[in-house]
Amino acid sequence: MTGHPANGLDDVVHQRVRLGILTIAHEARQVEFGFLRANLELTAGNLSQHLTVLESAGLITIEKGYAGKRARTWITLTKAGRLALREEITQLKLLINQIESADRPRNGAVAPD
Amino acid sequence: MATESASMGGDPQQLLSRSRELTARVRSAQRVTWVPLAVLAAATFGAVPAYRFSHSVRTCRTWVHPHGQSGTICLVYNSAAFVYWPIALVAAYVTIAALYLHRSRARGVGTRVRPYVIAGIAIAVLLTGTSLWVDRHPPTDPHDILGLHIAALQAGSIFRLTGPASAIGLALLVLAWAERSRALLVFAFGYMAIVLIPIDFGWVIARPSRWSFLPHFVIDGSVLLLGAIAFALAQRAARQSSA
Repeated sequence: MTGHPANGLDDVVHQRVRLGILTIAHEARQVEFGFLRANLELTAGNLSQHLTVLESAGLITIEKGYAGKRARTWITLTKAGRLALREEITQLKLLINQIESADRPRNGAVAPD
Repeated sequence: MATESASMGGDPQQLLSRSRELTARVRSAQRVTWVPLAVLAAATFGAVPAYRFSHSVRTCRTWVHPHGQSGTICLVYNSAAFVYWPIALVAAYVTIAALYLHRSRARGVGTRVRPYVIAGIAIAVLLTGTSLWVDRHPPTDPHDILGLHIAALQAGSIFRLTGPASAIGLALLVLAWAERSRALLVFAFGYMAIVLIPIDFGWVIARPSRWSFLPHFVIDGSVLLLGAIAFALAQRAARQSSA
């Protein structure tokens, strides 16, 4: 295992939709299924699959209930989910820094004849 | 594996900027800033009849400075102040919490109002306690307030800092932090300036009129109400543009 930031990325979290779910759940404290579906522009089935992956990994909890007669599903980030999200953001920033610092000397170098 | 994972996730720059965009959307959905401002404006306007139908209490003391200066220092307050404000502020924060909870659940997100409500109630209780203490231990020197040696011009601001309007302003600063709203932070500082300086726009009703408190409450309440209207319109426009 090398110290490259890409090695620190978690396959469960490092996925566009799942990272979006964790980001929203973190900021919202608790988020409803419909809000996630609308903001991530997903079908209910697709979103459910991603939620199942995150729930199996222990990163979120899913709670079903009712608001009046309407069924509601609420998603809450677990402590492990918060840590995983923080780690993913840190690794992404490191990766960006690494790419940018690798680009810098190449851009400044004199092109060979 | 890391390569697979990286390609599955996409460009790190894009992922981070999308995270920021989603965070902004959630914050926009959570903000109902006009609610606390409107409720607190109502509490401020509600003080007008409470003060009008109670009486003014005036306690005066003669002070003598060691250097020979002397004079009379008077503490004037309304008998309704210690009853109306603790009840009105606690009721206001309970109402705000309930409305925030209702609105945010209807929008499908959690709420960040809890620290604001706790801070609001704590500040209201603390400042009421301080005002009661000052009432029981009135200053014996116009420059000596709460054991602090203070220039005469600052003394009024110190007394106003322990007042209900200041309690509202301090709690709004906590809400600005909780909602991560720069606009509300600017508004809260502006409101505090109006309350503490105080800015009366030249409208003064002198004592012993029983309406001497009126300009103060009308100005403070109007600032909160105008703020509520401005935030309601701005947040509605922001939601419509992001929808």
